[in-house]
Amino acid sequence: MTGEDPGPLIRLFGLTGGRARPQGEAFDLVAIVRTVGGSYEPADLIPEHRAVLSLCRRPTPVADVAAHLALPLNITRVILGDLRREGFITIERPRPATQTIDERIYREVLHGLRSL
Amino acid sequence: MDYAASEPGTTAVAPALAIKILIAGGFGVGKTTMVGTISEIRPLHTEELLSERGVGVDDTSGVEAKITTTVALDFGRITIREGLWLYLFGTPGQDRFWFMWDELALGALGAVVLADTRRLQDCFPAVDYFEQRGIPFVVGVNCFDGARRYDPAKVRRALGLVGTIPVVLCDVRERASVKEVLTTLVRYAVEGGQAVSSHLA
Repeated sequence: MTGEDPGPLIRLFGLTGGRARPQGEAFDLVAIVRTVGGSYEPADLIPEHRAVLSLCRRPTPVADVAAHLALPLNITRVILGDLRREGFITIERPRPATQTIDERIYREVLHGLRSL
Repeated sequence: MDYAASEPGTTAVAPALAIKILIAGGFGVGKTTMVGTISEIRPLHTEELLSERGVGVDDTSGVEAKITTTVALDFGRITIREGLWLYLFGTPGQDRFWFMWDELALGALGAVVLADTRRLQDCFPAVDYFEQRGIPFVVGVNCFDGARRYDPAKVRRALGLVGTIPVVLCDVRERASVKEVLTTLVRYAVEGGQAVSSHLA
């Protein structure tokens, strides 16, 4: 049958070439993704790649990228791994929260929670 | 959302930080409700290959098949300011999704273990998990309608918690109550047991 929607699984398979794991170093759910400023953007990028580059001009955690793309987390990771390999994005390895929270951030978080 | 903070011209890369907090507990204890009460909830799911994880039963004998299953995650975001967020992740309740916990727990600031006093044993696995890994956690006793109001000290004894771990009575439908639980966790995770013992029974 032609013209039938092949369904979401086929579509996801196409996005990743069937890969279930991203290339390169593993990255966390809340690792911060940034688009590399001024990087050359080829005309033939797929829409999902474009969407990531646009979103991550502002630093964006991996989980938010998945939510924004409305794609499964594992698929999103494959896409992010590809973009990193091509040098379009950086993915910052998060340090454990206890090491990154200094006095200022601690106060900001407590104040932020109070004002919710 | 306020975008005024980053003017064109401020080209310096500002540090961005996403702080991960886990919401754990038994099935139906109110994890999803808690995330929704306090944060902007976001749809998040992942496709996992269960066959890689050693699922005991395999009905597809003779067929080269991998079982893909969709794991939906409760995922909420609290924006403190541009570039500083709290991310709440509800841990999947079913036993077969335990493998997701390790990834969720990695680098987390801490966890809230929600407990229902009618089924207190449901939160034992979560308590064990965070104790074994040294991840700071607080116990939130969700006071459902009709549930007896428990003495936090009794819950502490029943769970065999060491003295400094905060036990907070809460109602996950109430914003102020969830704020208190999260504030207690942040203080406990950063400052340790001394910081929070003062206002706990």
